[in-house]
Amino acid sequence: MSDARAELACETCERVTEHELHYAGRLLESVRCTECGSHLELSQRALLPAYVHDLEQRVTSKPRRLVHRAARDPRGFWTGLPRALARQPGKFLREFWALVRR
Amino acid sequence: MLAAGEGSRVGHDTNKVLLPLAGRRVFTWAIRWATRLRHVTHIVLVIREQDRATVTATLDREVEDPRVVVVRGGDSRHGSEWAALQALRPAIEAGDLDVVVIHDAARPLAGTALFQRVIDAAAAHGGAIPAVTQGSLIGLEHDQGPPAAGVVSVQTPQAFVAGPLLTAYAAAAEDGFVGTDTAACMERYHDLPVHWVDGDARNIKITFPEDLFLAERLLAKADFDLSEPEPETAPRRGHLWDRLHRGEHR
Repeated sequence: MSDARAELACETCERVTEHELHYAGRLLESVRCTECGSHLELSQRALLPAYVHDLEQRVTSKPRRLVHRAARDPRGFWTGLPRALARQPGKFLREFWALVRR
Repeated sequence: MLAAGEGSRVGHDTNKVLLPLAGRRVFTWAIRWATRLRHVTHIVLVIREQDRATVTATLDREVEDPRVVVVRGGDSRHGSEWAALQALRPAIEAGDLDVVVIHDAARPLAGTALFQRVIDAAAAHGGAIPAVTQGSLIGLEHDQGPPAAGVVSVQTPQAFVAGPLLTAYAAAAEDGFVGTDTAACMERYHDLPVHWVDGDARNIKITFPEDLFLAERLLAKADFDLSEPEPETAPRRGHLWDRLHRGEHR
């Protein structure tokens, strides 16, 4: 899970306010207005299929993205690859855990 | 490509165009679709100075296209457009650019076909804006029915022939005129006809939190690819004013 903050229009406050955004993987999971607390989130029933579809796209586009990164910075790519590979299982476990425990 | 925000708040607020959206930042999606057109030779990204480091790192990671240059925006939309035009000025004055397209980076779902459509229409007529009919609107007062002359919502990208657009903004800068949008400035300083082209209902502007959810789903539904070419059948085009008077929204 990752978080972000941004200025978005709030229907309750009727003006632009700061919002907190929470992501499951790269999928937006929930948004909350930091001023009035209005909360919007994807339901569990909608989130899981959306996550699976998104994961499929992430996996199928991974080879192309890896090639792009390797071409852009070969040395950085190869030296960082073992660490990046080692991080993947933990990263996906955290994502799955965050999804199922909602 | 306008990514400097509305300028309504000053400080450490996070620009919504820098938010993640389906694996990329919001503002790089539209750059992706526009750069699929080979005859697009320059992309000027107008940003806030405080976003420069993030924007530069993101461009390096997600775009990496030598056609993209970054300039600092103004205090208003008009000021940001003027900043972009000044960056393009040498190319326009050298006759290297035929058409300039202005696009709001908070509209990540403006696909390649839409960019192509406005460029073609602007090259043929002088100016082009995408519009989507809003036939279900109704007045709030009891005696008001649907708007008589029709209502459309106007989107970006909007395209104009380069030379007149530059002279219009240069004249506006001399006069101190600040237009609400590109068409307003063009209408004040030129009599070039602005034609409408079919907009795209998917081309939403990220404004409310719901828009982010919707944009994500629309991208997924399109298999994260909005680079489809213009369909075989020619899209409907005409003068926006004529369309409103004919009531084509119904």
